[in-house]
Amino acid sequence: MKQIALTVNGRKVEAAVEPRTHLADFLREHLRLTGTHLGCEHGVCGACTIEIGGAPARSCIAFAVGCDGLEIRTIEGFDDDAVMAELREAFSAEHALQCGYCTPGMLIAARDIVARLPDADDKRIRLELAGNLCRCTGYLGIVNAIKRVLADRRKGVAAAKPATPLVSMPFVSFKSTNAASSALAAAAVPAAMETPKGGWTEMAESFTVHKPPAEVWRAFADLPMVASCLPGAELDEHDALNVNGRMRVKLGPIAASFAGAATMERDGAGMRGTIKGAGSDGGTGSRTRGEVEYALGLAPGGETRVSVTIRYSLQGPLAQFSRSGVARDLARRLIGQFAANLDAKLDPARAGASVGATQGLDVGALIWAWIREKFARLLGRPQS
Amino acid sequence: MKAAKFDYARPRDLAEATKLLAQGNGAAKALAGGQSLGPMLNLRLARPGLLVDISRLEELKAVSDGGDHWRIGAGVTHSRLEDAAGRMPGAEMICLVAAGIAYRSVRNRGTIGGSLAHADPAADWPLALAALGATVEIAGPKGKRRVAAQALMSGAFTTALDDAELIAGVTVPKLSAKARWGYYKFCIKPGEFPEASAAVVFDSARNAARVFIGALDGPPVALSGIAVAVAASGALPGAAEIDAAVARAAPSLDAVDRRLHAAVLSRALQQAVAP
Repeated sequence: MKQIALTVNGRKVEAAVEPRTHLADFLREHLRLTGTHLGCEHGVCGACTIEIGGAPARSCIAFAVGCDGLEIRTIEGFDDDAVMAELREAFSAEHALQCGYCTPGMLIAARDIVARLPDADDKRIRLELAGNLCRCTGYLGIVNAIKRVLADRRKGVAAAKPATPLVSMPFVSFKSTNAASSALAAAAVPAAMETPKGGWTEMAESFTVHKPPAEVWRAFADLPMVASCLPGAELDEHDALNVNGRMRVKLGPIAASFAGAATMERDGAGMRGTIKGAGSDGGTGSRTRGEVEYALGLAPGGETRVSVTIRYSLQGPLAQFSRSGVARDLARRLIGQFAANLDAKLDPARAGASVGATQGLDVGALIWAWIREKFARLLGRPQS
Repeated sequence: MKAAKFDYARPRDLAEATKLLAQGNGAAKALAGGQSLGPMLNLRLARPGLLVDISRLEELKAVSDGGDHWRIGAGVTHSRLEDAAGRMPGAEMICLVAAGIAYRSVRNRGTIGGSLAHADPAADWPLALAALGATVEIAGPKGKRRVAAQALMSGAFTTALDDAELIAGVTVPKLSAKARWGYYKFCIKPGEFPEASAAVVFDSARNAARVFIGALDGPPVALSGIAVAVAASGALPGAAEIDAAVARAAPSLDAVDRRLHAAVLSRALQQAVAP
């Protein structure tokens, strides 16, 4: 527990809070200020919008402990506020609410619009309200209520001058010797294909190992060595064709550790194999099943071309992130890292060169890819 | 949804913050505006042992005029940059980009440094700052170092920062009076992450021609061929040329996404070359 002291609606409040308690829960459960409503609880719906330090913010993704020393104003704190009084009247007159769940957040967002954008038109009001969801009104009444207050406040005030259009200079052509370029990962690693099939995501990748196929094939039988090339993988026990182990995944703030088992099939004549496995992550409560098919072929110069097809399905919270361009990017980098490590293991002389072949992947970052398409689209999360 | 348990620390200065992160040994995570990390904590996708709250560090909040550049502290919120429109000559693009991020109640808390460190491939700052040729100032236990904005992000949610490092600020070269630029993104709903985005900057005074597309699988990608061509001609390239350049820059895009990115790039370029 952490001791905090803050001001809520002009009143000094002291309390001991768990760091994980978000501000909305603190206001509702500790202070009984239940005018702040919780909808999505991950910063999307706007129902919990309050003011922190005089500016609208989402109280579900602010932590009470982080508001120590700050001024908080909830919907209960606007009783004597002139703009809010006008908005209350206008919301009533324009039927700007039905069930009322979004209303506290709407009112605080609306007051911000009135204060900040006195000349806002219909389109601007709708844009500004995009972060507050209402499932009853279709927004028309809310937009009209805000327009009504803006119009009332404009009465008697000289019409604002239309903004002077920016005078921009004509485009001056020039011969650029300073054009930005970026090293394309795609140039080093062939494009992957990704096709979702019945809840399974499939992607194909390939890479080159600078040793002949027979040698790479033998190396692939050495499970501890193969695992040591895969960032984040750890073997607990294994025999020739079965492994128990863990795969740590770290992607930005997301971390998971899948524990599970896999079995292997190897076809020495065709130099191809299959790995089937399943695992679960206690932390996020996610489960996965997956299958890797690989085949070795002769590449120019006596080197080995390794073709890999990965199929996986994911259940649980992390599943919201699967079937994704992000997953593809990660898988590509993971395979790049694996290939570089494998090269270095098979030929220590290549150790220096192979690090550079990882396209800038931070060697310390342990990557495995079951991550979302676009966080926002699937979770409906706003951007920060 | 409630976050899993974590410990919380609010360091007094940057040095203490990096020290706490170093001691965390990978289990500590910096918290700036928390507008991306907050949802991930609530969804329990992120479960750090310790949150190091840097949102109150005054030394990260300065915006200063460096003559030929603006220096923006990592802790500066999007809304502060939005509200600085008209008062930051040479940084007009910065103010416009800031105004288009998420929603006002998110912009009031979310920070430029937090967005860069989070490294969402579809976020605005990694793209805009790459196009502007900005430099990112990184503070760590061993002192400060500088990285080009376009080199900060190495993949989705992955940056050049190590566990104990923080972004201290960004330095953005001022656009000259001759500069032309464009910024365009396509979002299904206003405030959401875009499906496709593009930022272009042409500044003959600095001999800079920078064309980037974003909202890809990984970091924003530069299209230097298009940049050189547009700088020389001052005209919008043909649709086929743009399409081919996008296909080369991001070969894993499917046909629909490629057209989307090409259309978005074309609109950004149009803003820059329009009379």
